[in-house]
Amino acid sequence: MKVKIKIDDNYQIFDYEGDLNISVITLLEKLDWPIEYSCSCLQGICGACAMVINSEPKLACKTFLNEEKTVIEDNQITIEPLSKFPLIKDLKVDRSILFDAMTECELWLENDSEYNPKDLDFEYEMSLCLMCGCCTEVCPNYKLGDFVGAPATVSASKLVNQESDEEHLKNMKKNIKKGFFHIVLNQFPVKMSVPWKSQPKEQFQK
Amino acid sequence: MVDIIVVGAGIAGLTASIKACDKGANVSLISSDYSERSQSVMAMGGINAALNTKGENDSTDQHFTDTLNGGCKINNEKAVEMLTSDAPQIIDWLERIGTSFSRDENGNVDMRNFGGQKKKRTVYAGSRTGKQIVSSLVSLCRKRETEGKIKRFVGYRFLSLIFTDENECCGINCIHEDTQELRSFIGDAVIIATGGYNSLFGKILGSTQNDGFATAKLFTQGVRLANLEMVQYHPTTVKTPQKRMFITEAARGEGGKLFVMKDGKPWYFMKDFYPELADLMPRDVVSRSIFKVSDGGKKDVYLDLTHLDEYTVKVKLDEVYEICEKYLNLNPLKTPIPIFPAVHYFMGGIQTDENHKTNIKGLYAAGECSCQYHGANRLGGNSLLGTVHGGWISAENAVLEKPKGNVINSIDEELESFKSYAPKDKSLQDTLSEISQIMNDSLGIYRNEGDLMAALDRLDNLDTNVNAKYYDYLKVKLLVILSKASILSALERKESRGAHQRTDYPESDDRYKKSICAMYDDENIVIE
Ligand SMILES: Cc1cc2nc3c(=O)[nH]c(=O)nc-3n(C[C@H](O)[C@H](O)[C@H](O)COP(=O)(O)OP(=O)(O)OC[C@H]3O[C@@H](n4cnc5c(N)ncnc54)[C@H](O)[C@@H]3O)c2cc1C
Ligand code: SF4
Ligand code: FES
Repeated sequence: MKVKIKIDDNYQIFDYEGDLNISVITLLEKLDWPIEYSCSCLQGICGACAMVINSEPKLACKTFLNEEKTVIEDNQITIEPLSKFPLIKDLKVDRSILFDAMTECELWLENDSEYNPKDLDFEYEMSLCLMCGCCTEVCPNYKLGDFVGAPATVSASKLVNQESDEEHLKNMKKNIKKGFFHIVLNQFPVKMSVPWKSQPKEQFQK
Repeated sequence: MVDIIVVGAGIAGLTASIKACDKGANVSLISSDYSERSQSVMAMGGINAALNTKGENDSTDQHFTDTLNGGCKINNEKAVEMLTSDAPQIIDWLERIGTSFSRDENGNVDMRNFGGQKKKRTVYAGSRTGKQIVSSLVSLCRKRETEGKIKRFVGYRFLSLIFTDENECCGINCIHEDTQELRSFIGDAVIIATGGYNSLFGKILGSTQNDGFATAKLFTQGVRLANLEMVQYHPTTVKTPQKRMFITEAARGEGGKLFVMKDGKPWYFMKDFYPELADLMPRDVVSRSIFKVSDGGKKDVYLDLTHLDEYTVKVKLDEVYEICEKYLNLNPLKTPIPIFPAVHYFMGGIQTDENHKTNIKGLYAAGECSCQYHGANRLGGNSLLGTVHGGWISAENAVLEKPKGNVINSIDEELESFKSYAPKDKSLQDTLSEISQIMNDSLGIYRNEGDLMAALDRLDNLDTNVNAKYYDYLKVKLLVILSKASILSALERKESRGAHQRTDYPESDDRYKKSICAMYDDENIVIE
């Protein structure tokens, strides 16, 4: 099988013969070449291993070769780093901007959290964002520094529910509006292939 | 103003940073990656506290007793007493800072059954307890970052401790993973919260970030380690093409049962072996039972959830359902899950007292890297509790430190060593696999002197001159030392207790009702 990996703007081709019931992360480990990438949990929980696999942003530890169409039909796979973040090396990118955006939007609670039984499930779901950055890949509006992107908005939607400090609530809403809503809401791709189950657009419109 | 250095940004590191900052300290929080990537987010099942809201007459005293019994009485009793009596307050705090715990029909934080405890005492947040806690701690930490009280340094790996001329710990040296920049952080006290030493056993259930470097390096710098032989095997793990993954104890808490085929019929053996707690016995007992009925792994053992209703399996245990579907291609509502025990948790590590102090002044440890609460076997749900508690207590004590001596800055030594290091030819991956193979071969569920001695021999003869980056080059050598210390500790404990079962010493022996400690003296490992 042919493994095409984008390294420093060029595609390097590796050969792989072996079991196809393995994930892309395991494939990278098996190639006889030290390729840099991020990983931690190896089971789709930490968001570290997001990369572009056959043109789709995916978690490499959860993407299996034998489920990829190009592997089944053409015996090949293409792996690239996420394209919207500064490249560190090979498949490793610097996603600090995702985290910085959350600080800029003041995403925290000033007061004790309010408990609203009807919102509990929603708040739980909104805390599941992996900060993987896959959504930025398919978002036509996401360019570095332009707007805060889905993760900050997802997190904000939980915190505005829980916050009772009026002043801080106002600020959070203002920051998120500035950084997200007016740019993106109507242009968000309708169906995104994101690792986490919820579709951001529906959540943001709540 | 006090300056505290925290290494590791999982739940223990985050809690320590927040609490130190709230006591007026400035904090530098250093970690190899963001908190969202730490092992803490992987915790699913829950966190223990005797809230006594289920009408079961539960109490913090019973939590204390269960924890000591689970740990076969070699836990630090004082520490366990603080842990269990502070637990309700910890849940209250986590709730107030925004953790979305699941609720029962009365609106109370819900609790479920977990192993080794007869009462419903395990608070949970859906199937993502760790992730939900990390999420609320991260936003609390963010606020203090904006105020300039916590400074985060992400991407740095711990290299070594810095001391004063009075042998107090007052800082650390680090290396940046991507830029290879070497950097020192100097402060009044250091809190280590780097998690378990997973890499010693290869690709185990936890995070690849927790490589054991910090624990091993601390050891070589004079820090006392304890109970390294106490390695927990989680009874119900599944083999996936990726790695072994675990099926949370909550699956048994919700009614899942283990069986093996006998005379053509499923035999639910736990009920026969232990009529009272059955499948909810502590992990070490369940793991050994599985080992036994499977004839050392020759027969398949299954976790049966097929009798549970769809809501329980698909909603309450959604993570289990997803692992089975995604990685095993199996529907647990229809087919029992093939399971086997695997390495999951390290009860041993950096020895700390009830205030989380190590044997070196100014140096603290909290979370899975530290050893005091769990004794010979950790109860499910007590680890998350211990990480929050450890972070909290270590911070409260660390902020009182003020080193008296002068700093001996050792960054120049580190630079020298960095410049002179010469990677050799041997493959890093192969060498790490050799180490984990040796450890798995000798420190399995059952141990004996012959295997342990053979492991020491293999480690002595291992070529550690690998072709790798500086940090990994050092790591391989350190892991060999930590492996040897673990094996020597296992040899020293000539009895069977909790997670440490010797076929040559099958009974427990009161002479060993204590911690086995390891020290590094003049390049020799000394076991006490
Ligand atoms: C799959 C799974 C499920 C679990 N479920 C439960 C459960 O339901 N209940 C329960 O109580 N426990 C559970 N546990 C155990 C529990 O998750 C861990 O023990 C706990 O989260 C450890 O937290 P910590 O803060 O000590 O360390 P971790 O969360 O492991 O964090 C370690 C931190 O140290 C950093 N680090 C590591 N090495 C270095 C270095 N050299 N330099 C700099 N930084 C470094 C990492 O980046 C990370 O930030 C589970 C564990 C696993 C693997
Ligand atoms: S919103 Fe989804 S795709 Fe975007 S970072 Fe969060 S989990 Fe990843
Ligand atoms: S390594 Fe954690 S999501 Fe892939």
